[in-house]
Amino acid sequence: MSFDDWLRTDRLPHIWCSGCSNGTILNCTLAAVDAEGWDPDRTVFVSGIGCSSRAPGYIATDSLHTTHGRALAFATGVKLADPSLNVVVFTGDGDLAAIGGNHFIHACRRNIDLTVVCMNNLIYGMTGGQGSPTTPLGALSTTSPYGSSEPAFDLVALAVAAGANHVARWTAYHVREVQKAIQTGLRTPGLSFIEVRAGCPTNYGRKNRLREVTDMAEHFRTRSMVKAKFDRLVAEGRPIPPDTIVVGEFVRRALPAMGVAP
Amino acid sequence: MKLVIDENRCKGCNLCTQVCPYRIFRPGRRPNRKGVIVPELDRPERCTNCRLQGLYGRTLCGICQLTCPDQAIGWVRERPYEPLTMEVEY
Repeated sequence: MSFDDWLRTDRLPHIWCSGCSNGTILNCTLAAVDAEGWDPDRTVFVSGIGCSSRAPGYIATDSLHTTHGRALAFATGVKLADPSLNVVVFTGDGDLAAIGGNHFIHACRRNIDLTVVCMNNLIYGMTGGQGSPTTPLGALSTTSPYGSSEPAFDLVALAVAAGANHVARWTAYHVREVQKAIQTGLRTPGLSFIEVRAGCPTNYGRKNRLREVTDMAEHFRTRSMVKAKFDRLVAEGRPIPPDTIVVGEFVRRALPAMGVAP
Repeated sequence: MKLVIDENRCKGCNLCTQVCPYRIFRPGRRPNRKGVIVPELDRPERCTNCRLQGLYGRTLCGICQLTCPDQAIGWVRERPYEPLTMEVEY
């Protein structure tokens, strides 16, 4: 069985733009779920609103397409109603960090046994490229035509501070690493949060000189830095390029979790 | 096994041309029926997974399949190779 068997092939091709990383992250998640050998009948995919939240519609298991930002609240309900179910949540950055920010920190605080995959494309892609809480400083978007003037949200630091059990960040270029991180997250009891930097060539790249899909992937390849190297550079006091994406596993711990199947 | 690109699903983003370690995918030249310029395969028999998947019993590289955002890349089973036979009539 490969991850292709988890897809609803009658719904494909999907509606995402050409080169959208959401499809890649969907592949990685399904490959991880498939490698874990989960039963499709006991697996639930939950999502909110946004480009990324179209993902459960293409998966041949039970899924919930819920209200904006409330995917984690619905997933909490699913998990507490039947702790034997495996629950995976797909969200985007606007869904998780902006309108669902409060649900996110409280889900991390409660440490519910969920796997949260955040497809962070740094922008509101579906509504036309408005700036989101994770739009980097100086990036152009529809609502910040002279460059974003606000500092961006660091979702990984937020999840670590709020008490999630497993936190990692990768980019959509690092497919195997994303798959392994999600697989680790599926095994970890408690909330595991995987932020995946996704490319949005249509709405983010077009305004930020990354119009071609391959330019976006090259950007991810050259700008990402593994956490061990980042920590070493910080300890040595060496300069770090300002737009570095720190990737890797940030925390894995065994705080008391909620909703774990007995 | 044989490497195939599903032309119905491909949207022509050319990500596969960047990630394949053997550079099997090349940017295509002419649009297909849907107007998508699908990448073309350059000697696909070099693909590791095509050659050795049956021997090892698992997917070996598969980076292009994981990376493809449109789920367009896959492998189909081929009929086993049959050497040509010739009957000689006396």
